[in-house]
Parts: sequence; structure tokens; C-alpha cells
Amino acid sequence: MAVSPVLSPKPNPPGTKATTNASKAKALAILNHSRSVSSPIAPSAATTPGDGGQDLAEQMNDEVRRQFVSGSRLGEGTYAIVYRGHFRSDPSKLVAIKKMKLNAEFKDGITLDSIREMRHLCELDHPNIIKLYAVFTTKDQNISLVLEHLPRGDLEGLWKDHSIMYGGADIKSWSNMLCQAVWFCHESRVLHRDIKGNNLLIAADNTLKLADFGLARGFADPGRPMTSNVITRFYRPPELLLGSQHYGGCVDIWSTACVIAELALRDFFLPSETDLAQLSVITDVFGIPTETDWPGISSLRHWEVNFKSAAPKRPQPLSFWRQRLPLLGDDGIDLLRGMMAMDPAKRLSAEQVLKHAYWTNYPRPTKKEDLPRQGDGEKKMGEDLKRAGGELESGRTDKVARKLNFG
Amino acid sequence: MSKVARAPGASKRLAEDGGASPLSNSLHHLSLQQSPSKASKATPAFADSSSDICPVCKSSRYLNPNMKFLVNPECYHKMCESCVDRIFSHGPAPCPIAGCKRTLRKAKFRSQTFEDLKVEREVDIRRRVAKLFDKQESDFETLIDYNNYLEQVEEINWNLILGIDVEKTEQRLRKWEEARKADLNPNAIRRVTEPDTSQLSDTSHVILKKGATQRKVLMSSSASNLNPLGGGDDAERDTGFVFRGLKKRKAPEPEKPFDPFDGWSIEPQYYSFQGDYNHNWFTAMKNDPQHYAGGYDMREYYSRALCDAFGGMGIFIEDEMTARDTQGFDDAGLGTQSVATVAAGGRDVDMADIF
Repeated sequence: MAVSPVLSPKPNPPGTKATTNASKAKALAILNHSRSVSSPIAPSAATTPGDGGQDLAEQMNDEVRRQFVSGSRLGEGTYAIVYRGHFRSDPSKLVAIKKMKLNAEFKDGITLDSIREMRHLCELDHPNIIKLYAVFTTKDQNISLVLEHLPRGDLEGLWKDHSIMYGGADIKSWSNMLCQAVWFCHESRVLHRDIKGNNLLIAADNTLKLADFGLARGFADPGRPMTSNVITRFYRPPELLLGSQHYGGCVDIWSTACVIAELALRDFFLPSETDLAQLSVITDVFGIPTETDWPGISSLRHWEVNFKSAAPKRPQPLSFWRQRLPLLGDDGIDLLRGMMAMDPAKRLSAEQVLKHAYWTNYPRPTKKEDLPRQGDGEKKMGEDLKRAGGELESGRTDKVARKLNFG
Repeated sequence: MSKVARAPGASKRLAEDGGASPLSNSLHHLSLQQSPSKASKATPAFADSSSDICPVCKSSRYLNPNMKFLVNPECYHKMCESCVDRIFSHGPAPCPIAGCKRTLRKAKFRSQTFEDLKVEREVDIRRRVAKLFDKQESDFETLIDYNNYLEQVEEINWNLILGIDVEKTEQRLRKWEEARKADLNPNAIRRVTEPDTSQLSDTSHVILKKGATQRKVLMSSSASNLNPLGGGDDAERDTGFVFRGLKKRKAPEPEKPFDPFDGWSIEPQYYSFQGDYNHNWFTAMKNDPQHYAGGYDMREYYSRALCDAFGGMGIFIEDEMTARDTQGFDDAGLGTQSVATVAAGGRDVDMADIF
């Protein structure tokens, strides 16, 4: 008998998850689960005792699946197909159904991407983080994630679209929503590890939502190594490029700062062709850190290769920033430099970022309803959701499955 | 509002709208007049030959098929387009119709909408008044107040239409317009002192003749009269019209300072976080450059460990279950029941099958 392995350990996050206390929600997940899913089954189970030989897990799965109607295809990628869909009970409530493809590497189970995505998304409930409504499997053993429908494209498409004009207040508004999402993830002990413009989707009411938790993981215990081969290259912080295996929320802060700078620049902030070149692009702006700038840097794995015999470089002066990012203003540049401190110990934490004076200074962030918006972003949402984490849009290695060391 | 108050109000409005209004009468007349004449003569374009001759230049439509008649809302005298061009092209000029000495400007001339010029004029007046008095029922506290307001507006209309107290009404209208402007845009308040100075100057002329001491006394008394009455009196004098039962206009609430956390806050309830903890097991990690240089923040670990340790505090499953059961129908019972039925059906969840 084929039983989906997902359902037994995976509590279905019900739509009525009102509690904000994460730990509380976790404690009650099992209870909610048994209540919301099995209660509607009860009559059917009672009336048709010989129900096609389904066991309880399959019945529960069917019950979840029946709540949604899937519609036209929005996009297809190597790892997933995204469909438009809606609740059966309320056709005006749209969802995006992300159907994970079976992966050749993981014949016997679920891909790590989807496990990570399900595991972390079902715990995070914040207006600036994409919502996971439910998970179910289909007959061919494919897992489908029912996600929030975010029809207004992504942040990268927004700055790339030159028909859209925006100013400092709009940037502040978007950045704030992003920083809130990052702060909430970190407070809930989740590292996103793939923050970039492509993964920031925009809802119908112009709310920015952090999506794609395919590379996310919880904070590691001390002494347990994590892979340093995460985060899309342009957004990868120097400590990961130097091969650090023990890092924390600081890696997400660097990526966040890159996204904010990108918004102000309307171009990639630190683009490079290869992973090796990325470090030199970073040092062109921030200089090469010495042992005094960054205590302990020489003990990082790739330090010798990159910096030991490198000619010293000085960081760019403030005038460089002012000239490059005039839209942010002096306080914005101060925040950005704080978020992009080379030494991760000196980098601002997500909470410090949100407490920075930049947010409360003039200009006030634009209200959500007044933000400039993109039309026809639904297709883009499909494109974005189907992508697997950690890759650039049109990279050479697009079709190559990644190998990560999941320490 | 109660139903009793609504009923008379509604009837009043009905009466105003469809009852004795000469506008509607004349409209009625207009349609009555047109249809039989057109039907009988069957020449609608030349229905009234006298209306097709310009009263100024006496040219007729017969000679000039493209002739167009224009009127000026100043006096509503009809004349053809070429006359308007000829007479008013060089600036304002008096109306050429005998007995009418009003000065007309070319820009104001337009083609008439209604055949009856009285209707045309009434519609113009009503449009102008309606533009100034655009209050809604929701602006008033009670329906009776609103109806009284409508009544007052209608009186202004009829004063202007029938020419009763026109000057006085016009003056009040002007005051009302200025007050309205000031109300809508408080930054653009002009000092509306003109009517006051004119009144003052009238009296001061009298006073000046008499003597300085008296003048001072009068001036001070008038000042003391004006000042204590203050805003209320001022407002009444300024607006020209007073309507009872108007709701006070509320200023929009000042925007709250921006909250970068958007109202979210995550604070531990059962412990206070101290920032640093000493334990033999930690020290090796704390002093490991791989950790501190690589960006590993021990504080993140401490706070996570504390949160994990205290996470279950303050959650009383019993209480929450009873609260849930009393709130909704007993779902929990159904849940266990369904499990029970499935179990009773002999098809238990086969755990061994999964792995």
C-alpha cells in the first residue's frame, strides 16, 4: 500500500492558525491537526466503511487536497511546476500550488528543498513572509505546497522595469518590509540563506513577501558545521566566500543590504562572473580586511588563497557611497554600511537594523497602497516559485542539480 | 433617525421635487408645445419662423442656413453668431437689444440648451447655487436639519429666479463662497475685512464729525463688543448663511510616527536574557576563531537555547482545550470518534508499512 511519507510527520498547517506565539503554535499543531482534518472525514468514514482501502493518512491527504482547486499552469522549472488555484470553499481566495517534481537524486524520499520549505514556512506566520496554506500529495507521489498567491511580480523585476519610477520613500518602505521579514525569521531562529530580489514577491496589496525557503535552516548549535556554499553569488557575504562553516543571522543581513542597495541603484550592487571574482568585487568596495579589522580572519579556510599575499586595498570613502546611492541619503548609507560591515561580528543584527534612525527619519516610508506597482506579475511569480534556491536566473549551471554538504 | 421624522421629511422632498416647481411646469409645457406643432406642421426645422430671424441684424435662416443663435447668461437675449462676432470682438460692449443696457463679453456667449430661455436661466441659477450648497444628508445631525437646509437653499434659488432681494442674496452668497473656500483650504484664508471696514467706515464717518473722545469710546466699545462674541459671531458674519444641525468637521488624526517593527514585538516572558553565559562547554567554542571570525554569534545560540527551554511555559493545554470546546461545536470529540470508527473498522494505520 502506497502511503505518502509526508503526511504522518507533517502536521497540516490549518488556515486558522491565529496564534502568534511560535512555540505555542508548535505545541498545538498536533491538536489542531487532528481536529481540523479528521473531523470532516468522520461522516464519510462512517457512511462508507469500505472506502477503497484507504488508510487514515490517505483520507487526510485527500481531505486537504479536496480543499483546493488547481487551475492553469503559471510556470515550470527544473524542480517544480507552479499552478494557479483557489480554495474550493471560496473561489475568490487565490493560491499558488507548487508541485515539486520528483528528483532523480532523491528517489526514496522528498527533496531537501521541499522539506526545508515546508518545515520552516509552516512555523513562520508574518505578513511579510509568504504563507504556506497546506501540503498534500497527488497520486504520482508528488508533493504540492499550497502557497499564498502573490500576483505582482518580484522586487528584481520591479527595479529592472524602467517604466516604473520610484523614490527614496518607496525604497524605504520596501526595505522595511524586507527587514521585518528577516528580523522575524531570525527571531524564530530560521536562517533564510537565499535573500535576493527574485525571492521577494509582491502581493496584490503591494506587501513585500519573503519567499523560497528552499535553503533555509535553523540556527546551528555551536560546533556543528554548516555548508558555506549557500546564498546566490551576488548576495553572498565575505565570511561565506572565505569558507566559514559557523555563521549566524549576519549572512542574511549582508544579502538584505545588497537588495536595498540594488533597489537604490537599479542595478546589481556587487555583480561578478565567478565565485572567485566575487571576493575581489567586494574588496574593491570594502577593502581587504586585516587581522585588526576582523579578528581571527586568518583562521578562515579560504583566507590563505585569497588574502595572504594580496596587495592591500583600502575601503571606499563615504563620498563613493554618496555618489553611488544618492537615493538613500546619509542615514540610509550609514545603515547600509552597518549592515555590510566586513567583520560579521561588527555587522548589525536584524533587530539593530530595525532600530536604526533611517526608518523614522524623513522621508516617511510610502504607504503600501501608494507604492508603485508592476502589472502582469503572475507569470513572474510562477517563474520565481519554480526556481530552486541558490541559483542566478540565467546562470550557466541552471540545469545542474546542486550538491550541498548538509552538515 | 426615527421613522416618524423620516416620513415628513421624505414627503417634503417629494413636494419640492415634483410639486409646484415652475421649472418642471415649464419643462412640461415645453414638451407639450413642441410635439403637436411639429406633428401638425411637419417642418421641424422651421417650426417658428420668428425665432429664426436674428433680432439684431434681422438676417434669417432662409438666407443663411448655417446661422447659430447664442445667448449670454447676463441677460439671455438671443442673437446670431455673426452679430456676436461683430459687436463683441473688440471687448465688452452693451447688449444691442433695445432697453437692455447690460455689458456683455464675448467669452460668456454660448448656445442655449433649452428652448425656453426662462428655463435656461433657472437651470443656470440652480446650477450655480447647487455648486455652493453641496452638503449631504450625512453632514447633518438629523433629517429635519437637512430638510431645513434644503428649504433654505430652495429659498435662495427662488429669490434669485424671481428677483427678490437679489443684491442682498448675492452678497450673502459671496460671503458664503469665501467662507467655504477658507474652510476647504485653511492655508489660503484671506483677511475678509472688506465688509467690516465698510461698516466701520460708515459709522466712523459719523463719529469723526463729532469728536475724538467720543470716537475713542465708541471704538473701544465696538471692539469690546466684537471681541467677547469671538468665533461664533465671526463665523456667522463671515459665512452669510447659518444652517443648524451641521456636524462639526473633524480634522483628520495626525499620523502616528512610523514604527519599523509594525507593531510586532518578541520579548521573552519568563526569563531575561543576559547576553553572556559562562559554562565550560561554551568557552572552547567562544574562543574558537572559526566561530567568532566566521560570524557565529553565541548570543543567538543562548537566546535560542533559553527560548527552547522556556517555550512550553504558560501553555495550559487543558484550558485551551476547554476554551476551544466551548467556543465551537465539539470538534475534538469528532476527531477521536473518527479515529475510533476507523479503528473499529479493522483497518488500523499500519505504521510498519510506511518505512
